[in-house]
Amino acid sequence: MASPSTEPPTADPPGPAAAATSSPDELPRRSPRQQQQQEQQQAQQRTATITPLPPFQPDLYQRAWSSIPHPSLPLLATAHAKSVTVFSLATFTKHSALTGGHSRSVRTAAWQPPRGSNKKRLGLVTGSFDATAGLWSYDVEGERESALEKEVRLRNDSDGSDNDDNGPDEREWEFNLVLEGHENEIKSLAFSPGGQFLATCSRDKSVWIWEDVSPADGDDDADGDWETVAVLNEHDGDVKCVAWCPSHLPGARALAARRRYYSAECLASASYDNTVRIWREDAADGGEWTCVAVLDGHEGTVWQVQWEEAGGQQQQQQQQQQQQQQKQQEKKFPRLMTCSADGTIKVWSLKQDDDDDNDDDGDDKAKGEQGDGQEAGGFGNPFRGIPNTMRRSLREEWECTAVLPQVHTRDVYSIAWSAETGLVASTGSDGVIALYSEEEATEEEEEEEEEEEEETGRAGSSRPKTVWRVLGTVAAGHGPYEINHIAWCKRFDPAAGEGRGKEEMLVTTGDDGVVRPWQVRIR
Amino acid sequence: MEKDLENANPTILSVSELPSRRRKGPDARTGPDAGCDKIVFPRHHWPYGATSSSSDEDEDYAEEPLDEQDIYDLISPISDPEHPHTLGQLSVVRLPDIHITPSPTEVSGPNALVTVRVDLTPTINHCSLATVIGLAVRCRLERTLPPNYRVDVRMKPGSHDQDGQVNKQLGDKERVAAALENDALQAMMNKMLGGCD
Repeated sequence: MASPSTEPPTADPPGPAAAATSSPDELPRRSPRQQQQQEQQQAQQRTATITPLPPFQPDLYQRAWSSIPHPSLPLLATAHAKSVTVFSLATFTKHSALTGGHSRSVRTAAWQPPRGSNKKRLGLVTGSFDATAGLWSYDVEGERESALEKEVRLRNDSDGSDNDDNGPDEREWEFNLVLEGHENEIKSLAFSPGGQFLATCSRDKSVWIWEDVSPADGDDDADGDWETVAVLNEHDGDVKCVAWCPSHLPGARALAARRRYYSAECLASASYDNTVRIWREDAADGGEWTCVAVLDGHEGTVWQVQWEEAGGQQQQQQQQQQQQQQKQQEKKFPRLMTCSADGTIKVWSLKQDDDDDNDDDGDDKAKGEQGDGQEAGGFGNPFRGIPNTMRRSLREEWECTAVLPQVHTRDVYSIAWSAETGLVASTGSDGVIALYSEEEATEEEEEEEEEEEEETGRAGSSRPKTVWRVLGTVAAGHGPYEINHIAWCKRFDPAAGEGRGKEEMLVTTGDDGVVRPWQVRIR
Repeated sequence: MEKDLENANPTILSVSELPSRRRKGPDARTGPDAGCDKIVFPRHHWPYGATSSSSDEDEDYAEEPLDEQDIYDLISPISDPEHPHTLGQLSVVRLPDIHITPSPTEVSGPNALVTVRVDLTPTINHCSLATVIGLAVRCRLERTLPPNYRVDVRMKPGSHDQDGQVNKQLGDKERVAAALENDALQAMMNKMLGGCD
């Protein structure tokens, strides 16, 4: 296809329906020839088939809010009514249940990263409409089990008891501790990557940060000790979602190391007030947590916020081929993705000065040139002794750098950005499941982007030019019902064959009380 | 009921003044009048679960498409939280302010989405009970309409001082779900919806 074909446009549809739905509003601006070229390009592009796997059993027969996969074990925690049902990803059946801890619906749950005293236990935190968060634990007998051994054992457990709702499994989850403080429903909670901090957010417009202060060598049966380290009150509406930056990523580490006043931990919160806020612990100010940026651009409630967790296998392979690009990537701070009641999904990037990527001197010099006179100098920590309100350098500038092709017609409740493949999936009130990928822009698209940047006066980012494409969609993923949540997780079911423990699948959770796994194949 | 009402003297329509099927004449409908009862008093709960759809139910979906009058009949008997009258009698619910898109006759299959939009006109423009009334309407429709219906309840533009705020609350699924777990609110809903079934 190096030279434009002289044949008239073929009658063949440009690939599957998914390709046809991508960026329809771009089409009218193109000349027929451009359009033809685009169609040819699309015909060559990747597409995805998303096929349902057998749903998790049993059906819950009531609205289920979210399903959270364990980061390494074949377990999935689904929040519904006042309880959490844990499913086995190996058998797609019920493994255990957490009941009796909350007086109102459980909205969400988070797996506790293993830490110090609790290495031999599974830890789960539940966030409920009763305004509390509950810490639960499940004893895992025997030490040093590999994930696979655990998987087999857990599967056997499940086989032995999944017929009886009040079986022995029920008793194995212990309700250890309740975190009280919020005035209204807890909507979301998340552990920081190392498990040191837990963030919770609520309709009371606040985000609370709790710190695990249990002694590291504490005895195994200790319930853990948590202290409130911050109450963040700047949102003007319900806080719908909290997410910690994957601070282990090179981009995040590099920035934290360069700016000594940054802690490694960084939190994003999404709200009913249509904004996202970024929070950091200001190491120079005795560990005070402050809002460093407000991401403004959505025209409705921001339902969910997700960090980019690139660095998966696929990306690494690509990067090995392009060492130079890898260096670039490493310097970039992870991006954010948000989905909203306005039907859109946006990508946000931290504006990083070029000087950020060089050295400290350049950094401080750039600040001086921007007119922050008091910050010039660059000897040691230039901010010592300067009142908090004047430390403007903590402010970060985030900009919306991409809007995904519009697929949804109503609220987008949930997105999932794969750490493994970089693929994004979304779902919402319209019951549609959509899959997107970020791909290198064609020359033509790059030109257009540049034109747009000139028009809007938006500075071109130094990131490689990319576009988001729709790879595939599924309509009525849960029949006529709304879908509340979508997540990526590894496949452990026997049908996955060699892909077991490696291949990723999607899991959706709906108002119909069904938790449904989906196989994703890219062609 | 007699102390400090937000609106002490609302305009009340008599039952005979309310919009109904009868005054539309025989041409207005395609099916028998009795078909309406089935929608107002549904025989079955809408199916939950992964394996619920049977051909029986599919036939039911196709049988009698809902129109605006059906929606009106579902929500106009809801009692006002303040007055011993219905939302229909107080003209909080008005037939011309109910819109169904796309028209259910054009809908293909039980999974295709149908949006019902209801614009409410509160009796006075600072009525603090607007949210409660809206919640009752949303609740009534969600309990009775098939699951492929999406319900958008709003305050008619300009009819309420804080219509933007109220609309956003009523459109927020999570807030609505949490509100319905509040015992006091749940009791109020049951009282308001008591006259419906």
